[in-house]
Amino acid sequence: MNIVVCVKQVPDTEALIKVKADGSGIDEGGIKWVMNPYDEFGVEEALKLKEKNGGDVTIVSVGPARALETIRTALAMGAEKGIHINDPALEGADAYTTASALAAAIKEIPHDIVFCGMRAIDDDAGQVGSILAELLGIPQVTVVTKLEVADGKATAVKAIEGAQLVIETSLPCVITAAKGLNEPRYASLPGIMKAKKKPVDVKDAAALGISVAAKAKIVKMMPPPERAPGKIVGGEEAAEKAAQLVKLLREEAKVI
Amino acid sequence: MAEKFVSEKTIKFLVHDVFDVSQLVQYPYFSDHSREVFDMVLDTALKMGEDLYRPYFEEMDRLPVSLVNGRVKVHPHVRTIMKECGAGGWIGAEFPYETGGQQLPLTISLLSEFIFNAANYSAAVFASLTTGAAGLIESFGSHEMKEKYLPKMMSGEWQGTMALTEPQAGSSLSDVTTVAEPTDKGYFKLKGQKIFISAADHDGVDNIVHLLLAKIKGAPAGVKGISLFVVPRERFADEGGLEFNDVNSAGIYHKMGYRGSPIVQLGLGEENNCRGWLVGEPNRGLAYMFQMMNGARIGVGLGAAGIASAAYYASLQYTKERLQGRKLSQKDPSTPQIALIEHSDIKRMLLLQRAVVEGSLALLTQCAIYHDLEKVLEGDQSEKYNLLLELLTPVAKSYPSEMGILSTSAGIQCLGGYGYCEEFPLEQHYRDMRIHPIHEGTTGIQGMDLLGRKMTMKGGKAAQLYIEELQKTIQEAREIESLRKYAGDLESAAKILQKVTAHLTSEVAAKKGPDYFLADATVYLEFFGYICIAWQWLKIAVSAVKALESNPAEKDADFYKGKILTMQYHYGYELPKINGLAEILTNSEGITVDATENLFED
Ligand SMILES: Cc1cc2nc3c(=O)[nH]c(=O)nc-3n(C[C@H](O)[C@H](O)[C@H](O)COP(=O)(O)OP(=O)(O)OC[C@H]3O[C@@H](n4cnc5c(N)ncnc54)[C@H](O)[C@@H]3O)c2cc1C
Repeated sequence: MNIVVCVKQVPDTEALIKVKADGSGIDEGGIKWVMNPYDEFGVEEALKLKEKNGGDVTIVSVGPARALETIRTALAMGAEKGIHINDPALEGADAYTTASALAAAIKEIPHDIVFCGMRAIDDDAGQVGSILAELLGIPQVTVVTKLEVADGKATAVKAIEGAQLVIETSLPCVITAAKGLNEPRYASLPGIMKAKKKPVDVKDAAALGISVAAKAKIVKMMPPPERAPGKIVGGEEAAEKAAQLVKLLREEAKVI
Repeated sequence: MAEKFVSEKTIKFLVHDVFDVSQLVQYPYFSDHSREVFDMVLDTALKMGEDLYRPYFEEMDRLPVSLVNGRVKVHPHVRTIMKECGAGGWIGAEFPYETGGQQLPLTISLLSEFIFNAANYSAAVFASLTTGAAGLIESFGSHEMKEKYLPKMMSGEWQGTMALTEPQAGSSLSDVTTVAEPTDKGYFKLKGQKIFISAADHDGVDNIVHLLLAKIKGAPAGVKGISLFVVPRERFADEGGLEFNDVNSAGIYHKMGYRGSPIVQLGLGEENNCRGWLVGEPNRGLAYMFQMMNGARIGVGLGAAGIASAAYYASLQYTKERLQGRKLSQKDPSTPQIALIEHSDIKRMLLLQRAVVEGSLALLTQCAIYHDLEKVLEGDQSEKYNLLLELLTPVAKSYPSEMGILSTSAGIQCLGGYGYCEEFPLEQHYRDMRIHPIHEGTTGIQGMDLLGRKMTMKGGKAAQLYIEELQKTIQEAREIESLRKYAGDLESAAKILQKVTAHLTSEVAAKKGPDYFLADATVYLEFFGYICIAWQWLKIAVSAVKALESNPAEKDADFYKGKILTMQYHYGYELPKINGLAEILTNSEGITVDATENLFED
C-alpha cells in the first residue's frame, strides 16, 4: 500500500506570535517550529496502516528550508521518504496554490491513500485537503476520527454535530485527520538516526509545472485589539459600591 | 499554556554555544551523529517530558507506592513510561551498536534525562536505574548474561537496580554481609538482607534484575572481599519460562518526597533458594559497581538540577503574576500594587535559583563531555579526561543537591504562603529534592572522596589538570573587556583554592593525621563548589558575550544578557562565601575531632 502524508510546519502552539509592524505577516524571530498537530495524526495513521498492510509512506511538505526538519521528524517516526517542495514563490501561498503544488507532486507517485490534517493550526483555513482531493480527482472524507482500510475500501468515522457519520469510500482517497484518530508516537532514537539517511527529493514550482499565482492574498495582518484594563469599583460601603457599579454598567458598559 | 519546567533555549545554548557538543562527531565512534540529530533527540525528549512525564507529576506523589500481599504497586503510568523508553531506544542510548544501543554521546542523553527529571523525578528514575544496571552487564558481564538480560532490560520490560545498602552497611559498604555460597552449577546461593533499594520490586515491569553486592563465603574482610552478582527476582527455569528466585519484598519505606518511586527492603534466600550469577571476577565487585555509581552520582546531581529547574520556573511565573506591595520609593498608597518580580529581594531569590540550576547543569554537561572524550580518545588524552571527571564527580553530585535545597526553598519563599501549600508544586519540589544529598553516597562521603582521594590521587595530577582548565577559561574571559573583572575574581579564587588545599594536604594531613585532615571535608566540598560553579558561569558568560556581538534580535539579546546577569549574581553573592569558608578551613582548631561524646549529654 502506498501512503502519502502531507505535513505543514507551523509555529509551536506555545509560541508568542507577533505580527510584523507592516502587517505583512508574523515576525518569525525566536519561533519554535513544529509539525502541525493534525498532520501528526495523519503520519501516525499512515504508519499504522503500513505496519498492518505493508507498503511505503511518503511525506510531502510545502515550505521553506526549515520545513525539512519537519519532514525529518516524520521520517524519524517511521516514514520511508520525503518530498520537499521549496520555492520562494510559494512562501505564504494560499490554500489553492499549496494544494496544486501538493497535487502535482502526488500525481507523479503511486498513492492509495493521502492523509492531510483537517486544518493547520497557524492559518486555520482547513481547505488544502479538500482542494487537493478535487485536483487529484479522488474522493475525500474530512475530519476523520476512526479509519479502517480493507478490501480496497476505506471506512471512516466522521464526527458531526450530535452524531457520527460512517462513510465508506473507494481508494485512492484523501482523508483529513482529526483529534481522536490515534495517539501519535514519539520519534525513536534509532528512527532519528535512520531519518538522516532517508531520501528527500527537493522540488520547486517549475519542476512541478504549476502556476504560483495566488487566488487569495493576505492584505494585512493585525493582532486583535487589546482589551481595556478592568476597573475596580471604589467606595467605603457596600451600598455605595453597588450604586457605582450600576451606574457604570448603565452608562459605560451599556449592558443594562 | 502548559507550565514550563525547563528552558529549551538554555539547553540548546549549552549544547551548541557553550560546549559545542557537535565537536564530538569528528570521532569515529560518534560519527553517525550530527547537530541535527542532537536537536531532534532533544526535541523528542522535550515532547516526552511534556506529554509523558509531566502530567503525572502530582498524581504520582499523591497516590504513592504501596505494598500489597508482598508485592509493590506503583502508578500504572510507570508501565507506559518504561515501554516508551524501551521502544524509543532511551534505555540503551549510550550503548554501542553491537548491543543494540545508539552510541549517543552521554552529553545528549544526560540533557534528555535532565528534561525527564525536571518534568517528573519519580517517574524518570525507573528507566535510568535500568540503564545503569544494564550498563554494568554490558561492561563486565559474560556473553551469556548479556544475551539473557540486556534485550529485556533495554526494551523496558525488566527493571534494573543497584542493590548495595544493608542495615549495617550504608555509607560503609565494606561492611556488606550478604553471603554468596558457591555451587558446582555455575551459580551462587545468596542469603542476606538489602534495604532502601530503589525500584527493587514493582508492577510496572515483568521482572527485576538486581546488580547486587555480596561476599563470597570465605572472602577477605573489607572492600577487597566484595563481589558483584546478577540476581533476578524471577530466574530462568531449567524447563523454560521463569520461576521465583526467592527475592522477597519485606517492606517499603514511607518517604518525605520522591514518593512515586519505591524503595524496598529485600530478603534474599529466605527459603535458601536465591541464585546469583557472578559478574566479572570475584572480589572486584566494588570496583565494577563504581562505574555505575559514578554515573549514578552524576545522575543524582542531574535529578537535583532538574527539580530545581522546575521549581524555578514555577516561582518565576508566580512572581510575574502576583501583585503585592509598592516600591519603597512609592509613598502613595492609592497607586496600584506592583508584581512581586519588581522587588529586589524577589529578583535576588530568582537569580539564586537560576545560578544554581544553570550553573549546575553546565557543570554536569561539562562532566558528560569529559566522559565522552575519555571514551573516544586514547592514552594521555583519555587519562586526562578520566581524571577530570573523577575529580569533579563528587562536586557534580553534591553542589546541585545541597544548593538545590536552598534553591527550591527560595522558590517556596517567592510564593509566600502558597509556596507552603499543596495547591502549588513548590512544596513537592522541595520534598522531592531532599533525597539528593543522601543517596548514592551522602554529602559527607562526597566531601571525603574529593579531599581525601581525588585531590591527592596520582600525586595531585587531577587537581593540577583542573587548575589548568580554570586557567583556560580565565584566559578567554580576560580577552573580553566586560569580563576582565570576573576573570580576575576567578583567578584569585583559584589561588585561594590552591592555598587552602596545600594547607590541608600538607600541613594538617601530615602533622595531625587523617581525622583532622578530613574533619571538615564537607566544608571543603562546599568551598570547592562555589569556585567550580564560578568557572562554569564564566564559560557561559564568554559564550553569551560572543552571541551578543552578532547583534541578535531584542528577545535573544535579553536571553544572553540574562546569562551575564546571573553570572554577575554568582560572582557577587555566592563566590565571596569562599573567603569565610577558607578562614574556617585554615584556622580550624579541630573542635569537632576533639569534642568527646560526653559533651553532648544534653
Ligand atoms: C530514597 C532512597 C533511595 C535509595 N536507593 C538506593 C539504591 O537504589 N540502592 C542502594 O544500595 N541504596 C539505596 N539507598 C541507600 C542510600 O544509598 C543510603 O541511605 C546512603 O548511602 C546512606 O547510608 P545510611 O542511610 O546507612 O546512612 P549512614 O551511613 O548511617 O549515614 C548517616 C550520616 O552519617 C554520616 N557518616 C556515615 N559514615 C561516616 C563516616 N565514616 N564519616 C563521617 N560521616 C559519616 C553520613 O554522611 C550521614 O550524614 C537509598 C536511600 C534512599 C533514602
